[in-house]
Amino acid sequence: MLSLRIAWRFLRSSPVQSGLIVGGIAVGIAVQVFVGSLITSLQASLVDQTIGSAPQITIRAEKDGDPVVFSQRVQDVIAEQPRIVKRTVVPVRNATALFTDGTDSAPLNLIGGDLRQLDGIYRLTTRTEEGAASLRSTEIMVGTDFAKKFSITPGDTISLALQGGSRASFTVSGIFDLGSAAFNERQAFVAASVPQNVLGWSSTEYSSVQMQLDEPFASAEVAAAMRAKLPGVRVSEWQAENADLLVALQSQGSSSYIIQTFVLVAIALGIASTLAIAAVQKTRQIGILKAMGLSDGDAGRIFLWQAIIMGGAGSAAGVGLAYFLLFGFSFSGASFTIEPRLPFVLGSAAVGIGVALASSIIPTRRTSRLDPIEVIQSG
Amino acid sequence: MAELLLSAEGLDKVYGTGEAATHAMRGVSFEVAEGEFAAIIGQSGSGKSTLLNMLGLLDTPTAGRVVYRGTDTATLDKRKRAELRNELIGFVFQFHYLLPEFTVFENVAMPALIAGTTAPSEIRARAFETLAMLDLDGVEDKNANQLSGGQKQRVAIARALMNRPAIVLADEPTGNLDTVNTNLVYDLFRKINKETGTAFMIVTHDRNVAQRTDRILEISDGQLVQDVRSA
Repeated sequence: MLSLRIAWRFLRSSPVQSGLIVGGIAVGIAVQVFVGSLITSLQASLVDQTIGSAPQITIRAEKDGDPVVFSQRVQDVIAEQPRIVKRTVVPVRNATALFTDGTDSAPLNLIGGDLRQLDGIYRLTTRTEEGAASLRSTEIMVGTDFAKKFSITPGDTISLALQGGSRASFTVSGIFDLGSAAFNERQAFVAASVPQNVLGWSSTEYSSVQMQLDEPFASAEVAAAMRAKLPGVRVSEWQAENADLLVALQSQGSSSYIIQTFVLVAIALGIASTLAIAAVQKTRQIGILKAMGLSDGDAGRIFLWQAIIMGGAGSAAGVGLAYFLLFGFSFSGASFTIEPRLPFVLGSAAVGIGVALASSIIPTRRTSRLDPIEVIQSG
Repeated sequence: MAELLLSAEGLDKVYGTGEAATHAMRGVSFEVAEGEFAAIIGQSGSGKSTLLNMLGLLDTPTAGRVVYRGTDTATLDKRKRAELRNELIGFVFQFHYLLPEFTVFENVAMPALIAGTTAPSEIRARAFETLAMLDLDGVEDKNANQLSGGQKQRVAIARALMNRPAIVLADEPTGNLDTVNTNLVYDLFRKINKETGTAFMIVTHDRNVAQRTDRILEISDGQLVQDVRSA
């Protein structure tokens, strides 16, 4: 592997030049990995905050106010969809109520369901800030904003005017925080039987059947498949109801790709210019090596090896630098953590080497074509 | 009678085309036997270096051909020509052209490394033997830039001899050396020629130097005007 040996010596003979370009690649790849991971994690965090504790697909009756029957047919269609996370399938009943506290009052939307099933989507057990997650027949869980507004603590008894005119008292078992002030203020969880009694529905009739997916962005596709198999009901999905969020996420993704692309272009231009200069600087050496019988192919491979060495070293250093930056970011106090995905990190390193290789095409071809007589005659 | 090493047959070299065409070489023909010790002389710009470059397969004639040991080099592609150059020909130029990134040993070993057909231990032994032949013991691990001008040219000669070539083509090899080193280099050439049977063709503009060889080919205006062998 003579061309590799020569490439290595040429690089070592210009340590500052070689070091600068390796440093340039390292910074580029570090930015690539950091920005890519940051945007991906930020998007995942936003998506999780927005829909992580909310239904991503909901089945309702065609007419508002009517119940949807959680029939065997519906259960079979749900079971056929591999992307639906089965433990998140929760049939719920909704009823409206009015809370009155002396002169002040506030509407509450009661979500009635089984705590274990509700946990699949709303994660009530882990998001209970005060008290305990419990939904026995006379218990209610309210949000932190609602509790704060009316100075409610676990163990308090609250009286609600229910839909249809009846009144009922509930003991506050726990106070949850689902990350949304609007939700925390307006929604409350009760046992499934509470709205069932208010609405006068049978045990298989629900306001909606909610569920989550293992890949939230597959919701449109899954919903379409379910619609085809469930005529007579409405199947809605979160993307159609959050178009603005999607546009924001896509814009964020696009800007991330633009940044990453320009970083790669900057790396490519840096390596290409350095290799081009190196090829000119080493013209005499290449010429004399060719005069001694070095083949065009071996001569060309010298700069290919240089690109591989610099690209490999730069990418490896860049990945190390990226992890250092990510470690530093963990102390920034941001509301989310950046979790670099290994395939993306390795892919970025591979792209770094690939860009280096692509950048070596011109000097490689130039060197390959160099006629030794040009060097000999020029002295 | 020594066997034929190379023959130059009707070599023409024209630079440019049409009215701008310049004839650097016109119909030069001669033969060189194995082990010959010859000089090519001529005025500056006469075409002697052009001739040497064509004999060294670094340049191609516009017409005519160079034949090495029966192989017409005009029929060879670039890669084969490079291989033949590596195997049969050693070059010594006015400038030493040593590679500053490599040690003396590596510079000398480079032609064998390029050939890639010799075991590393054999390359090492032969490089050390060649350096010893040129009184360069002890400088093997030095960088080429750490040597004196005379030493550098001797390292360049050692490199030319590394693959035990059939012929050494030297273009003004002492052009940058003082009288002492000039005499040393020519004595070395003669010694190697006698000991190894390597042929030498030395381009020089110095007639006194040329007269120390066995044969003088004189080039004038791109033509071979004289081909004289010493008695």
